[in-house]
Amino acid sequence: MKYLPYLLRHLRHNWVRTSSTVLGMAFCIFLFCTLSTLIAAVDWSLKSAKASILVTRHAVSLVFTLPIAYRERIAAVPGARAVSPSNWFGGVYKDMKNFFPSFAVDAETYLRMHPEFILKDPVKEAFLRETRGCVIGKDVADRFGWKTGDLFQMESFIPPYRKTNREPFEFMVCGVYDTDEIRYPGSFAGLMLFHFKYLYEGTSQRCGIATYHVEIEDPEKAGVVSKTIDDLFENSDTPTKTETESAFRAGFISLGGNLALLLWFISLAVIFSILLVTANTMIMAIRERKVEIGVLKTLGFTNLKVLSLVLAEAAFLGVLGGALGIFLSSGMIRALPKIPFLSDAVRGFPFLHLSWEGAGQGFGLAVLIGIAAGLVPALISFRARITALLRQV
Amino acid sequence: MPVVDVQNVIKKYYRDSQEILVLNGIDFQVEEGDFVALIGPSGSGKTTLLNLIAGIDQPTAGSVRVAGTELARLNESQLARWRSENVGFIFQFYNLIPVLTALENVELPLLLTPLSRKERRERALTALNVVSLSDRASHYPRQLSGGQEQRVAIARAIVTDPPVLVADEPTGDLDAKSAEEILALIETLNQEFKKTIVMVTHDPRAAQRAKHRKHLDKGVLTA
Repeated sequence: MKYLPYLLRHLRHNWVRTSSTVLGMAFCIFLFCTLSTLIAAVDWSLKSAKASILVTRHAVSLVFTLPIAYRERIAAVPGARAVSPSNWFGGVYKDMKNFFPSFAVDAETYLRMHPEFILKDPVKEAFLRETRGCVIGKDVADRFGWKTGDLFQMESFIPPYRKTNREPFEFMVCGVYDTDEIRYPGSFAGLMLFHFKYLYEGTSQRCGIATYHVEIEDPEKAGVVSKTIDDLFENSDTPTKTETESAFRAGFISLGGNLALLLWFISLAVIFSILLVTANTMIMAIRERKVEIGVLKTLGFTNLKVLSLVLAEAAFLGVLGGALGIFLSSGMIRALPKIPFLSDAVRGFPFLHLSWEGAGQGFGLAVLIGIAAGLVPALISFRARITALLRQV
Repeated sequence: MPVVDVQNVIKKYYRDSQEILVLNGIDFQVEEGDFVALIGPSGSGKTTLLNLIAGIDQPTAGSVRVAGTELARLNESQLARWRSENVGFIFQFYNLIPVLTALENVELPLLLTPLSRKERRERALTALNVVSLSDRASHYPRQLSGGQEQRVAIARAIVTDPPVLVADEPTGDLDAKSAEEILALIETLNQEFKKTIVMVTHDPRAAQRAKHRKHLDKGVLTA
């Protein structure tokens, strides 16, 4: 600790260089923490997907829907236990900034398939009874201050899901579902479920089924059942593509393995660049102070002590950059849901926050980059002979 | 017994593949409390001999014994520790750390001791008092004149109270008046504080202030 003022004086002395290095480091850690948080959110989302659920959609694109009649045929496939439609409604409450995910489902079947939506019996009964009924997560209830019995209106931004008379859909809150992070990791308290029948009738029976959720008896036979379903409709006007829920989610959010890999590659490229920049800065700083290092050694500082001082200075740059990067990343992650356009993209990630673990990794990485960057100048200082250092005068 | 005892020292440098003989069988002794000036032309090996005495370089052959320690027997960290306790070095260009104040520069060698911050500050202030610069304790080197910088450097050299002081051209970068003040200060350190001093100089007037003078030419002591 007694050397800290000495280190700080040096960093403050050339504050422009120190600031630019710290900012570079902060940018690197900002990117690392933000990207790793996004990737973790995606992973978490995929982790919550069940192996026993298949999702069947149009073979070409989610834009096209499937016929209602497919439900019975899929249900008849050997290995399929239950089938429920699930349409992403794209409902907007008053304004786009209030957007939250809402799904039209066959409530009874869907809730049985998805026990992560925990409903008390009276709430469930009320929901099944009420045509306009919906259940919402705690996040939605808190966000809009809704409680059981409240009525609100929403209109979809997807044209086929709009009423022919252009009026919005009216919903009644039948209750708030609970989530259990331990039993059902990845449960999301920020969405709304309502009856597909209500959507179907409201659109004058124009809308089809975006996806069927198919519960299967044996998760190990997911491949066989998927193929059987797709084979069933292969030669029809509306061929299907069936995949596991996690594969579907990964495809839907366009953040499958390759994109995650790309994000990591970008992170690594930035980290490597910052490592070189910081190393260059440290080498320049030490080259300018050759005589000073010679003086320190003359005064009795051992080679090891000089090496430690140089490494400590570099690590301190890492500490400053890491702390700033984590601060910026944390701020950005908090701000993402409030930023126009970006907010829509991240609403699908319910667990978007910089974890202590993520921040710790970012901080550790910053210190590591600092030390790695200081290694070469530290070794130069360590090995240099006093007479050679003082000859620079 | 001499404080500085250099016996049959040879020092060679290698530049590319060329061997350069800098010191050629030097025998040199300095008694405790003595003040010796090493004089001679450029390239005669004065600074090299001084570096050997200060323990910042090692001879190719021969023995260098200072303050009772055979320096060749010490490894790097032992030698560093020995330097911090036994030798104060005064440079021609002062070599103060520009980002530290005068007081902090003087305190620097004390960071290697187990002294508390308060004790270090007290000792550094005492050393600055000795060189009559306690009123400039909070000044940075750039805020001091050349003579004042050299006085701070002297305070740094004596703050650990080493028995031996080595000075390499201490007045080489100073005007006549400042040089006179620095020489007077070095004389005081020798006479009142009983420091053994070895000083390299080109300046005949500076050499005259020493009790003894040794002449070095082409790596050999001639007088």
